[in-house]
Amino acid sequence: MTKHLRTALLCTAFGLASGWGAGAGGAQAATIKVGVIAPFSGPFAMVGKTFKEAIAVYQAEHGTTVGADTVEFVFKDLDQANPAQSKALAQELIVKEKVGYLAGFFFTPDALAVAPLIDEANIPAVIFNAATSAITEKSPRYVRTSFTLWQNTVPLAEHMAKQGIKKVVTAVSDYGPGIDGETAFKATFEKAGGSVVDTIRMPLKSNDFAPFMQRIKDSGAEAIYAFLPAGPTTLAFAKAFADNGLKDKGIRFFGPGDITQEPDLPALGDAALGITTTFNYSQSHDSAKNKAFLAKHKELFGSSDTVTFTSVGAYDGAHVIYTMIQKTGGKSDGAKAVDAVKGMSWESPRGPLTINPDSRHVTQTIYLRVVEKVDGKLQNVEKAAFADQPDYGYKVGK
Amino acid sequence: METLFGIAVDGVAYGMILFIISVGLSVTLGLMRVVNLAHGAFAMVGGYVASYAAQSLGLPYPAALVVAVALTVLATLPLEKLLYRRIYGHANELGQVLLTIGLTFVIVATVNYLFGPTLKRIPLPDLLLGTVSLGPKAIPTHRAFVIGMGAVTLLGLWWLLERTDFGIRLRAAVDDPAMAAALGIRTERLYMATFALGTGLAALGGVLGAELLPLEPYYAIRYIVLFLAVVAVGGAGSIFGSAAAALALGITDTAGKYLIPNFGEFFFYAALILILFRWPHGFFKGRTA
Amino acid sequence: MMSATPSAATSDRTDAARMTASSPPLAAPLKTPRDLGWIGVPVVAVAGLAAFWLFPSDLGLLTRILAAALYVLSLDLVLGYCGIATLGQAAMFGTGAYVAGIAAVNWVADPLALLAIGGVAGGLIALATGALILHARGLTLLMLTVAVTQIVQEVANKARDWTGGSDGLSGIDPNPVFGAFRFDMVGRTSYLFALAVLVVALLVARRIVRSPFGLACRGVKEDPLRVSALGGSPKAYLVAMYAVAGVFAGVAGALTAVTSGIVGLDSASFSWSAEALVMLVLGGTGRLYGAVIGTVAFMAVHHILAATDPFHWMLFIGLFLMGVVLFLPGGILSGFERLAGLLRRKGDKA
Repeated sequence: MTKHLRTALLCTAFGLASGWGAGAGGAQAATIKVGVIAPFSGPFAMVGKTFKEAIAVYQAEHGTTVGADTVEFVFKDLDQANPAQSKALAQELIVKEKVGYLAGFFFTPDALAVAPLIDEANIPAVIFNAATSAITEKSPRYVRTSFTLWQNTVPLAEHMAKQGIKKVVTAVSDYGPGIDGETAFKATFEKAGGSVVDTIRMPLKSNDFAPFMQRIKDSGAEAIYAFLPAGPTTLAFAKAFADNGLKDKGIRFFGPGDITQEPDLPALGDAALGITTTFNYSQSHDSAKNKAFLAKHKELFGSSDTVTFTSVGAYDGAHVIYTMIQKTGGKSDGAKAVDAVKGMSWESPRGPLTINPDSRHVTQTIYLRVVEKVDGKLQNVEKAAFADQPDYGYKVGK
Repeated sequence: METLFGIAVDGVAYGMILFIISVGLSVTLGLMRVVNLAHGAFAMVGGYVASYAAQSLGLPYPAALVVAVALTVLATLPLEKLLYRRIYGHANELGQVLLTIGLTFVIVATVNYLFGPTLKRIPLPDLLLGTVSLGPKAIPTHRAFVIGMGAVTLLGLWWLLERTDFGIRLRAAVDDPAMAAALGIRTERLYMATFALGTGLAALGGVLGAELLPLEPYYAIRYIVLFLAVVAVGGAGSIFGSAAAALALGITDTAGKYLIPNFGEFFFYAALILILFRWPHGFFKGRTA
Repeated sequence: MMSATPSAATSDRTDAARMTASSPPLAAPLKTPRDLGWIGVPVVAVAGLAAFWLFPSDLGLLTRILAAALYVLSLDLVLGYCGIATLGQAAMFGTGAYVAGIAAVNWVADPLALLAIGGVAGGLIALATGALILHARGLTLLMLTVAVTQIVQEVANKARDWTGGSDGLSGIDPNPVFGAFRFDMVGRTSYLFALAVLVVALLVARRIVRSPFGLACRGVKEDPLRVSALGGSPKAYLVAMYAVAGVFAGVAGALTAVTSGIVGLDSASFSWSAEALVMLVLGGTGRLYGAVIGTVAFMAVHHILAATDPFHWMLFIGLFLMGVVLFLPGGILSGFERLAGLLRRKGDKA
């Protein structure tokens, strides 16, 4: 009721006819809802918070209206990977909240769960994070603004080979993204002439990493490629790496940038120094766009310390959704909305982005970064940039 | 041979950390018959206090450790009076589980609110950084320190429970509360002291183990299975049992990771099942220490 | 210390009262309330249908609640009627869900057949693991059930070709129910299907716990020594009931797979096991309907709090749990029973 009232008031304000029959005509002002499914509580609550804040920044910069339509984001909490719950929430958003767009999704299974729904309801789903390549193959209505493990790993492996590194051990957490990373690394690195001397898949619930460190030491590798989910496990792994003397022995530490994400760096402490990663976004990225983004974030929330890859995923995702709304004139047609953003290019805080028309995944610049101390604060300092990296994992199959 | 040595050293080091984190639970569960699932939450509170004391107040590591243990005990004692006292006794295990899970949720939410969801650390003094070498193998100095602390805790608890008046009274009260009360033992105070001992040990473990189990609000829930495994294998209430169990599990886990890292998880739980098969009541059932 | 006992004693007393009330009326005089438990089934059915009309746009959530209620019901069979404290019910739920899901992706598309497959899978894994671990008691048993669940989850994680690993098993697209009712986007079919399954399961569970076998299980719970003295094998009864409960949990898993179209590793996780225990104790053990009420209460509160304030729902749900233990030992259902008892006494006086 209040929603109708609000719509009616807005309509009067714009001097338009009353909008009781919302959606009857695209030109009429209406509220277009975007349902965001993400963890807002639980161990990954940080992710939901960064999504929400980034969207708020985007709306503060670009307003809450597109044309005559008001865009409203509706947030639903999904605290951990739970595809059945993800589907129930998406159902609720579509049926009850009547959202025209779905967005968010931190975990791959949660994103995959909504494929049949978005196809039946003809609604686009803009993925802010979930990074398994195969997702966008499962429905033509997925668009992704984050990255994939392949996208980050391929340039890293090539860079390592160019550095003259010959023997590498991969150490990844034993789950989908970890195995994606391992596969991508092995394929690329071996093609470039290097050899992977050992592939270690560590149980996801490992606490003690000392035994793996011994194995890495024994393998005689010059460097490791490591991927673990951000958070406590990465911390324990990086500490074990430093504490067990691998760092002192000169073994170099490489990996995708999730493992040194900005909010974790203070806790990682000096153990993180020297870790070399490739990633699509670093808080310290030097560009006017990024500075403006961080400044706005600081203005709204008092601090920009927690801005990280999930922030830009959501920020650019919001941009894609705004563009979809604009190009379809507010009409709810998922297939058309997705078509409208295929091939679209824009400048984001992380650099130039293009939505690849085939994979519906962002083609972007991947940066090589090293963790360094700048003015007493640990940062991912960009050392090189690899432009126009697509999702190398699209349709690779498993 | 070198592998065996490596497994032994890393396994014992990990096992000692497991011991120091879990022994508090063994005390509350074995001596007070409370399935205290909030044990992890108490350990986490200890860790956070130490982190705050060291980072924001600039206290040195030993002082932060003492403050953490003391404050955690002080903060949780009212809980004993308000909550735990209502759920003592064997008949009410499910109530204990539910109440302590509820309490854990409340603590997790509070810590999340006060300190935020990001990881926290307890900076180590320079003395504990670096590695010490044991023959062909090097282990982090901090771990060597924890092993030492574990041994001290083990002996201290043994002395407390076996050789002091407190221990004798406590064991009497556990075996037969009614008789103990009739003999003039003030069970209420005794239980309070034991509870304090349990939470103090939890806090100690939370601080010392923070290098291995990093502090974040979900610490309280994430590691509870691990703590319960140690206590189940050791036999609730048995201090030496807990130590033996922690070492056995530590070595098992380490061996699995050394030998078949890709199936480490299977190895650990399969071993756990086998151990509980052979010793269904834990290594040291029925003995206090 | 002694101040602790009253609450435990009250719950024991109500327990005992309930026991005599629902056991065959040989000892129960006519005046004590007769077994009115059968009313529960139509009440669940009617309430379920009412919810269908009242909340037509929440059917996704409601379907999940129904499937979860069935799962918690399976736990009540082992915990409430056999006294087996387990933190491993998700092993059966997850096995049922995965096996039904794999069957759906590769061979079978009929939803009822999938439920049967899930039930058989859940029952078999319960039978196999139950025979292995049910000699233990207390904390040891708890740990063994946890270990079994972890192994099941790890198998699901490792067998990526079959289960999709951590990405989840997607692409489950069952045929319409009875060839006529498609699983629609709004979730009407899913909901009514789940409701029908739950009602049937409640009827079956009621038959089971009131059968001689069910009563024998209760006997084992109350006094295992007596059962063995009378020549029965306590462990055999426990294993049998564990397997029966495994069938229920497997069906619940398959139901979730069928209605949501995807199975994730969370369905065989420790936390899902623990949640079942929380929901059951919340509702009240050993009553069957306690499982339904506990599930509805927990999931509804979770949903409402998570929707209004996702950041802090944990605080409130924690307080809610503690409140139930302190003020309603024996669960929500015991609160109703006490209320009913009070009213009845007033009626007697009048």
